[in-house]
Amino acid sequence: MKSSRAWLPRWLTSEHPFPWLLPVTSLLIVFGLYPVLYSLWLSFFKRNPATRKEKFLPSWNWNKLIEDDRVWDAVQVTLTYASIALFLQLALGLAIALLLDSDRKGFGVMRALMTLPLVVPPAVTGMMFLLMYDSSFGVISNSLYALNLLSPSAPILGTGSTALWGVIVADTWQWTPFMVLIMLAGLRALPREPFEAASIDGATALQSFWHLTLPMMSKIIALAVLIRGIDLFRIYDYVKVMTDSGPGTATETLTAYAGTVYFKSANFPYASAVALATLIVVLVTASVFIKIFKVRF
Amino acid sequence: MASVKITDLHKTYGTTKVIEGLDLAVDDGRFVVLLGPSGCGKSTLLRMIAGLESITAGDVLFDDKRVNDVHAKDRNIAMVFQNYALYAHMSVRKNMAFSMRLKKTDKKIIDEKVKWASSILGLDDYLDRLPKELSGGQRQRVAMGRAIVRDPDVFLFDEPLSNLDAKLRVQMRTEIKDLHQRLKTTTIYVTHDQIEAMTMADEVVIMRDGVIEQSGSPMEIYDRPNNLFVAQFIGSPGMNIIECRVTGENGTLYGAAEGLQLPLPSGANVSVGQNIYYGVRPEHFRSSRQVAASAGGKAIAGAVRVVEPTGPEIHVYAKLAGQDICSISRERVIWDPGEEIFFDPDLDHVHLFDGVSKKAL
Repeated sequence: MKSSRAWLPRWLTSEHPFPWLLPVTSLLIVFGLYPVLYSLWLSFFKRNPATRKEKFLPSWNWNKLIEDDRVWDAVQVTLTYASIALFLQLALGLAIALLLDSDRKGFGVMRALMTLPLVVPPAVTGMMFLLMYDSSFGVISNSLYALNLLSPSAPILGTGSTALWGVIVADTWQWTPFMVLIMLAGLRALPREPFEAASIDGATALQSFWHLTLPMMSKIIALAVLIRGIDLFRIYDYVKVMTDSGPGTATETLTAYAGTVYFKSANFPYASAVALATLIVVLVTASVFIKIFKVRF
Repeated sequence: MASVKITDLHKTYGTTKVIEGLDLAVDDGRFVVLLGPSGCGKSTLLRMIAGLESITAGDVLFDDKRVNDVHAKDRNIAMVFQNYALYAHMSVRKNMAFSMRLKKTDKKIIDEKVKWASSILGLDDYLDRLPKELSGGQRQRVAMGRAIVRDPDVFLFDEPLSNLDAKLRVQMRTEIKDLHQRLKTTTIYVTHDQIEAMTMADEVVIMRDGVIEQSGSPMEIYDRPNNLFVAQFIGSPGMNIIECRVTGENGTLYGAAEGLQLPLPSGANVSVGQNIYYGVRPEHFRSSRQVAASAGGKAIAGAVRVVEPTGPEIHVYAKLAGQDICSISRERVIWDPGEEIFFDPDLDHVHLFDGVSKKAL
């Protein structure tokens, strides 16, 4: 039988994969691939701030990047931020998931309530914590004053040694439920029998957790760490809203630095190099992690 | 080793009663099989003995010590689960050694024990494999290995063979029985397979709806069922049951059903007019082409429906006054479907049950 659209070239007919792949592929090209390639192209230029002229000088920005102490500081802040937040969120997520993994009455509701922080936009979360940290009326600051753990002379977000922690707490409040969600999905899917066998074999709850739950959950934990880890590397909104990289550059992460170079110095070529450097760090770390922990999707 | 005693045990889930006032005593070293249809509470009972299920009321005693509140891990039992419940991420060796590792047993002793168990169970070549790399029968043996290295007071088996194919099941049956004869550990074994129960048990406990219907040695249960349920449950093909009413004729009593007059054993504890169930096992229902002499002229005649030769014996299914009847014979008689067939019950092996209480008469 002859199709009524026989005049169309074969690669445009519905039997060919091309028309089906076209929409999403074009979106990816326009919004994914093109900006990356354009940034790369841009990073090969040297910008003169006075004349606003750009000159093709491929190694300029990349050399500058390597010699820029602020970049290395930012890498350090990003790594510190990401690893502490990841550890906290993972530990809390697993602990809360273990508590909520029950079929008793009311636990379903609690599991649902648990996800609420995820609905709040990150910038709003930042604002919320900004208020709670406020040195005169913030509930968190005042509670810490009362416990003698904090002095009004050193506000949380205004002090170099505590500012990063302040941001981490906000991030952790918002994203721990995500970990809980993934861990719960994993825990609920675990078979019951090996745990019964273990309790008959004489295992205490802690031993069961250590010898059974953790190994059986390892794939899921690795996946969760990967997803959250990549996310944490890209941290921008909390820092921007809460500290704007301050005090000084105490909370300046790589993305925050890139943002500053883009929007404050308007040095687009150099900012592109910083942003690409972030991408490279994430890609390398993630692939090493995937290799080591044999993460499967 | 230990004896197990259960007194007035109850288990309810919400308003559903699973076990109601159950008493059971298992002497030290015995092999007891809990047998019953699905949902009769046998697995729940086993799990309560294991400590995996809470006890609503009543007591479980090991060696006369109450263990109701003793955690499963402290009861020194070993259990083999229906789906093996192996630790998927551990090798066979680690699966078997797990309980000893938890107890911080000396590594040398662990190795020895694992070696001993694996040689008994034929797992020597598989010690470093993961469970997923084993066949069903091998996994089953790992589960058993994990149990025997423990030196437990009581072995609990929860339908351990039901996931195996028929041939392997027969083989494992023998292995488990052999193991019990060697180790002499008190064993409680749950199954819904009567052949398993009959072949392995010292004592069979038949359960229905959370109550023990009868317990005794396999042959006792087969030869002298207490009630209609046990009579029908045990035996394959099942006992022929014919509902009839006792009638008297010239001082002789018969079981009369539509178009049938069944001879009753002499001295049967029945009275004229009583409704009874008349039970004869297929092998005690002799079949022939001639009217049997013992029938006293009252031929029990039917028509052959299906003939099933099994090799050692021939199963003949026939219609007898509207009821399906099975007769087993070891004689090589060739029957044609539709052929007239005469039956002759062996009066020494006729079982009579009361029509109302369904208890043996």
